[in-house]
Amino acid sequence: MATAISTPRVDFRPRNVYGVWLRHWLAFKAGWLVDSSAIVIEPVFILLAVGFGIGRFVENISEGLTYQEFVAPGIIAANAMWPALFNCSWGAYQRMENHKVYETMISAPVNLSELAAGEIVWGATRSLMTTAAVLTIAAMLGLIDSPLAILILPVGVLIGLVFGGMGLIYASIAPSQHSMMLIFTLIGTPIFFFSGAFFPIDSLHSAVQPIAWVMPLTGGVHAARGLATGDFGLGEVFGLLYLGGLAVTFYPIAFLLLRRKLVL
Amino acid sequence: MKTAHSREIGEGRASNGFLAFPHQFESMLGIELSGVSRVPIKRPESDEPRLATPIIKAVNLYKDYGKFRAVDGIEFQVFPGEIFGMLGPNGAGKTTTMRMLACISPVTAGELHVDGLNVMDHPRQIRDRIGVVAQQDGLDPDLNVMQNLTVYARYFGMTGRVAEHRAREMLEFFELENRSSDGIHTLSGGMKRRLALARAFMTRPRIVILDEPTTGLDPQSRNRVWEQLERIKAAGATIFMSTHYMEEAAALCDRIVIMDHGKILANGTPDDLVLEHAGVETAIVRPVLDRRKEVELALAALDVEYRDRGRAIAVFNRNGAKLNLDGLANATVKTRASTLEDVFLNLTGRELKDD
Repeated sequence: MATAISTPRVDFRPRNVYGVWLRHWLAFKAGWLVDSSAIVIEPVFILLAVGFGIGRFVENISEGLTYQEFVAPGIIAANAMWPALFNCSWGAYQRMENHKVYETMISAPVNLSELAAGEIVWGATRSLMTTAAVLTIAAMLGLIDSPLAILILPVGVLIGLVFGGMGLIYASIAPSQHSMMLIFTLIGTPIFFFSGAFFPIDSLHSAVQPIAWVMPLTGGVHAARGLATGDFGLGEVFGLLYLGGLAVTFYPIAFLLLRRKLVL
Repeated sequence: MKTAHSREIGEGRASNGFLAFPHQFESMLGIELSGVSRVPIKRPESDEPRLATPIIKAVNLYKDYGKFRAVDGIEFQVFPGEIFGMLGPNGAGKTTTMRMLACISPVTAGELHVDGLNVMDHPRQIRDRIGVVAQQDGLDPDLNVMQNLTVYARYFGMTGRVAEHRAREMLEFFELENRSSDGIHTLSGGMKRRLALARAFMTRPRIVILDEPTTGLDPQSRNRVWEQLERIKAAGATIFMSTHYMEEAAALCDRIVIMDHGKILANGTPDDLVLEHAGVETAIVRPVLDRRKEVELALAALDVEYRDRGRAIAVFNRNGAKLNLDGLANATVKTRASTLEDVFLNLTGRELKDD
């Protein structure tokens, strides 16, 4: 009898990942207009200000590549990181510390591995929404030529998975609500500006170039640009593999740190 | 009406091991909605033989947080269908014990079994079967009332129309049916607590764990929650609750343990505990100024026990005999029925209300 109902060795219920994702979707639907406008309008302003404003004073980046064409996919990819980072750091911290929603979830039969996966996948979903919106607007402004650019969408998802994991790691080690802002100012902002979205990494001082190359957004920015311009090579493939590796590494770290924080 | 009611209670257990709650709740709702007076629910006799095996069992249970020992070798058994209470001040180890029961806090040493399963070996299976209400409600402020129920039910595999139907039932039972699309922030404290209870009962658990279910509620809301818990008990569920209100423990619980500093000081039915540790009645003796010594000497000569209680002295008699302090000079004497509060005071020398 007992052997017939043996416990599976890996106790992971995908339905709970969907359950957590659905919780976020319902919460998002209730206030989507305010929520998404903040996260779509800002990149569009950046696109206009940097692309058309600053862009007018910048010469072609290389033969046949205008600054607008260079910066537009960069801005699309760079902005994919914010929604995931925000959801999984600030949002996650709110849910676990202030609203005790995580406590409710783990009192229900949700394991932290499923909870973390749901959070990160939702973060990536938000990144996908932003990527799609900004990509559409950039295309309407005539900044995107290649039909391959549609593949920037999965790149946006990958960026979301990476930064979702990173946000959740930070949320589970942040000592206070106050310190949550640090991940945006000390980590998010430099990554946003120095990942090659706004200017080529080659133009940085050679001492800091390696740092720029290992930052978790750089590969995404270059892949997006490669897809938008049709110049997609081995370097871009490698960059995406690196991002995939980061996403796969961050996830277990995130849920183990969550466990350390919540299961006392 | 009454006979139909008790017959249904007798048939409370469905073949799948979960309670057949809906019918019972519906019939109760019928009683409630038609405005007929509420059905009083009788406590089982305390000396009723217990044929059942315990549904929750703790053996030599410990919990340490670093060097701090929050639970210090406690033992207890909870039997199916009873309301079991942990009474004690804040910091007694009640919440810690409940978190171990809910399998969200690992046991340091000892054994804890829920429904025949060890919490350390089968945490997920146990969580599948129990309902939990934490002290802070843990309601999701980003979801409305209905969604709080259906989203939660999904974690147990209950989805779609089944979940919605059940949620409506629960909202009706907990008198929240008009609030289903409202935001959590619009609810009063009592409503929030009732919603948290509704959520815990979504999946018809046979065992529910309630951490201080009425703390912070006004007396009216508290009475309402008590009544609903009695109805749930009548439907056959086992309720494990903590409280630091002695009135609550006395009014609601079939059996209680009194906890302090991580230890169980006493256990039994509320009435037995009062008789055993505080006697039938307690006299509060207030010596007149500077005459305390004389009063204490006079008390020492009598066949009674007494404890300091600030400026007053509490006098009681464990053997059940009436107190006779008529001859006591230099003091005012007020005699009243003993309570669990007296039990706690007599056991610890401290008041339960203090933190």
